Amino acid sequence: MSLKINEEAPPERPLKAYAFDPSQGRNLGNYMTVSVRNEQLSPGPVGEYLAVIDYDVANDTYYHPVDLDDPKLLLQGGLDPSESDPRFHQQMIYAVASETIRRFELALGRRVRWGFRGGSRKDPSRGKLRILPHAMQEANAYYDRNLRALVFGYFPASETDPGTNLPGQTVFTCLSHDIIAHETTHALIDGQREYFLETTGPDTPAFHEGFADIIALFQHFSYKDALLEMIQRTGGLIYRQRVGPTVQPEGGRPVIQDELSKSNPLVELAQQFGEAMGMRKALREALGTPPNSKALESLFEPHERGAILVAAVFDAYFTIYLRRTRDLMRIAQSAGAVSTPGNLHPDLANRLSIEAAKAATHFANICIRALDYCPPVDITFGDFLRAMITADYDLVPVDRFGYREALIEAFRLRGIYPQGVISYAEEALRWCPPEVIKGIRPPRCEGLAFNIPRPTTAQHQKRNAVILNRFARDNAVALGLNKGQKVRTLSFHAVHRTAPDGRLKVEMIAELMQQMDVNLDPDDDSSETFTFRGGTTIVLNDQGEVRYAIQKNLGKNDKSNHRLARQREYIHSTIAKMAFTSYGDEEIKDLLPRRGRKRPMNFSLVHRGY
Amino acid sequence: MATKKRASIKFGPNTVRIRMYRVGFGDCFLLSFPISNPPPGADTHRHVLVDCGVHVKGDLKLIDRAVGHIEATTAQKLAVVIATHSHQDHISGFSQKFSDFDIAEVWLPWCEDLRDKNAVKLQKKSALLVEQLRQHFEADAHESSVTKKRASAMAAIANLVQNKTALVLLRSGFGVNAQVRYLSAGDNLKDPAGIPGLSANFLGPPRDTKFLSQMDPPAGQRYLALNGKRTERLNAVEPFPQRWRLASNRREIAKLRFSESDRKVFQKALAGQSLEALAFALDQAKNNTSLVTLFNFRGQQLLFPGDAQWGSWRYWLEKDDAEAILSGVTFFKVAHHGSHNATPRSALERMAKGKFAAMVSTQSVPWKSIPREPLMDRLGEMTKNRVLRSDSLKVEGLMDAPKGPALSRLPKGFVQGDFWYDYLIPV
Repeated sequence: MSLKINEEAPPERPLKAYAFDPSQGRNLGNYMTVSVRNEQLSPGPVGEYLAVIDYDVANDTYYHPVDLDDPKLLLQGGLDPSESDPRFHQQMIYAVASETIRRFELALGRRVRWGFRGGSRKDPSRGKLRILPHAMQEANAYYDRNLRALVFGYFPASETDPGTNLPGQTVFTCLSHDIIAHETTHALIDGQREYFLETTGPDTPAFHEGFADIIALFQHFSYKDALLEMIQRTGGLIYRQRVGPTVQPEGGRPVIQDELSKSNPLVELAQQFGEAMGMRKALREALGTPPNSKALESLFEPHERGAILVAAVFDAYFTIYLRRTRDLMRIAQSAGAVSTPGNLHPDLANRLSIEAAKAATHFANICIRALDYCPPVDITFGDFLRAMITADYDLVPVDRFGYREALIEAFRLRGIYPQGVISYAEEALRWCPPEVIKGIRPPRCEGLAFNIPRPTTAQHQKRNAVILNRFARDNAVALGLNKGQKVRTLSFHAVHRTAPDGRLKVEMIAELMQQMDVNLDPDDDSSETFTFRGGTTIVLNDQGEVRYAIQKNLGKNDKSNHRLARQREYIHSTIAKMAFTSYGDEEIKDLLPRRGRKRPMNFSLVHRGY
Repeated sequence: MATKKRASIKFGPNTVRIRMYRVGFGDCFLLSFPISNPPPGADTHRHVLVDCGVHVKGDLKLIDRAVGHIEATTAQKLAVVIATHSHQDHISGFSQKFSDFDIAEVWLPWCEDLRDKNAVKLQKKSALLVEQLRQHFEADAHESSVTKKRASAMAAIANLVQNKTALVLLRSGFGVNAQVRYLSAGDNLKDPAGIPGLSANFLGPPRDTKFLSQMDPPAGQRYLALNGKRTERLNAVEPFPQRWRLASNRREIAKLRFSESDRKVFQKALAGQSLEALAFALDQAKNNTSLVTLFNFRGQQLLFPGDAQWGSWRYWLEKDDAEAILSGVTFFKVAHHGSHNATPRSALERMAKGKFAAMVSTQSVPWKSIPREPLMDRLGEMTKNRVLRSDSLKVEGLMDAPKGPALSRLPKGFVQGDFWYDYLIPV
């Protein structure tokens, strides 16, 4: 009788990648190892969620796929970082995309899904997000829902102003950890909120960009080596954009590289990309410019506007980091230790890095969880603030370090005013139960099945859909929906989370949407039409009681509908800004939201503006 | 029954005249400002020529005749020659003939100043891309049929091809010792070129770095021609050595490769789209270098924005004084031939309804959607029908010219010429 040894597959697969991008060389722990969930992989690599297909459209050629199960690679944690071996690029892109997906799954407490369906049954990449690491010759990378893909470009660095690159050197966007995380996040948001790709106002594209930058930036604080070094060089003030040299130059004139001050990569995004474009600095920064409550009134380009959101969240994060480490600094100082740049005690630096990483994870989780608490359409920065406050309150009612207070203050300083709240107090900012908004308390939604811990079966899902839809129609007014109009249930899922005190919380979150076709010009019935949408995200507890009805009322097609007026205005100004709309009428129709065919944002154009 | 006779304004020593020549798709405007108390026998007016050019695909072959007519009208004396930007349809008419003129000043936007580092950088990049696109489109046109979008893009590129002759003439002051000024947003000139009582405020182009980056075409791009089955490379970058490349029939990628239809989808989405969009982006960038001039003469405010589009307007539309400027405009030369995004709604709506007149030099060839009909309608409403399109003008002997809306009668203040319209303002 042979002894059958039960071998369970190891939970993680180590894969090498750049922490930042090739331009950092071996500094700052740039050569790092990402631990991804160990799953069955075929060459590509192709896993459950992702299919890396290295097809170069410009050169009409494929590149050799990497087989991550090859024993030679398994022995060393994957290929070593290399700019010239496409298989390393495929490995890195798979690793970072998987890491980003995992972060979302941990925060959301469930498996992610993509925002697209499609692909024929014979298509091996059906249901997966395809990633093309060398798709085109362009200084660009974007998510395209219609292509069901992330496409990454490569380009020659500027001949005249290449920054730290060689003039004309090939720069690969797929080797930038930041860019991969950013683009994967676009796809992940799309999977949670399919209508956030529809531009209904200046905040919607900016939200996508800002959120994607936030996730990519928080990633930096999990790189131990880079964090430790930056803590040393900034004396613990990790938000500083420039750090002093390792060795003070004589007479202020540096002669060797260690005497040069440098920028802080922790708070920057895509440094190689920015430099290669002749920008002489990273593509974007966490804190950018000082808070200006008027900035929102004049910045409409998605990246510029999104940068305000990023700065607000990071302002709060750094504030919390300082709060959390204040006692450590006081202890160090009372012991007579000096905490100036370059002189921190290694133990202190270590403890600071632990706090920084912990707080980063907390904040990233707050942001990701807040997605569930967002309305189904027409997201604004103010809505997102309320979603973050509510999501965090639900999980951590006692906010010892004042995370929520820090977030509120940071948003307030930047002029982000949520609609329909009476004050900036935390209670006012939380989403309200429906009885507070509408005065009507809806009954419980009976009969929903959400089992713990097994996921619901397909049959249960179907039943849940029917029950939710009926519940929505029967209680339309209380939930902020139009009575008598069709309601579409976009999604619903059970969420399981564990609070710090060990309680298991179970909720059901559903997105309900309504829509109507209206004219672009309210006074002209012959003008083009577009589909205007509204809806409510309902959060139900395990008793079926509606805890929150996060709503964007569809309303009527008349002058009293402010949201409709705002969207019309926004569409007009968008059309006015696009060059090609002067030259062809068909193009305008393509920009308008349409029923059924969800017309997503054209990321390639947004991103070309960097 | 007495018929109301409209008192017609005649051109005289106290009239400002704005003349729009019908040249096709292009601009050629002659402004004439009266001099107060001119000595007997001397000129009664000083003339300013704003642009002189026509698009190669929208040419009615009238531009030379226009130059000749300008010669006669001004007795070869021009106080100022303005070239708002270097699109062909605004400068193709600037030829050696102008060297016979007596020209006091030439005004150009700062983006044409070859001593300015930023201007040179932008120009170089743009010129390189325009040439590459032009070659690529041409090669493509031989291989397969041209789509509507591609035709539009090709027309845009044709307009962008550098007209070295005209630019050299302009930058050198036509060799007649004209003073050449390079102007930007915020500049103003009082009594320029010997025209007392005239002041010119420039609202664009700005020197703002953010504006510049908007105008910057993508750096270091090299483009590829994909012609159905054949692939032709125009400076394509090959990122990896041969050993890593796999043809689609290799077994290593058997499980990965895209189906033929999928491959075509990707090719279309990634390769084709960017080229037309790039052509339009380059075109728009050039339009946004337009010199935007607000002439102020004895209480009249004449706005000549060249071809400035939204990207340029926003720089001054959002300032506090925009309201005052717009509501005081008494004449508006409609930007970019009446195209959609060259007259922002927020600008038009803030002009004083019924208090200004407008002229549009345009026709619907080569672009059907220029001028934009809803914009023309709204202009009619805002000016109480005191707006004229150059293509409404019937020119003797002109065959097959694109026809604009027919006029039952000329609006108040306008006079018709052989191949021009005049707008007369008593001052």
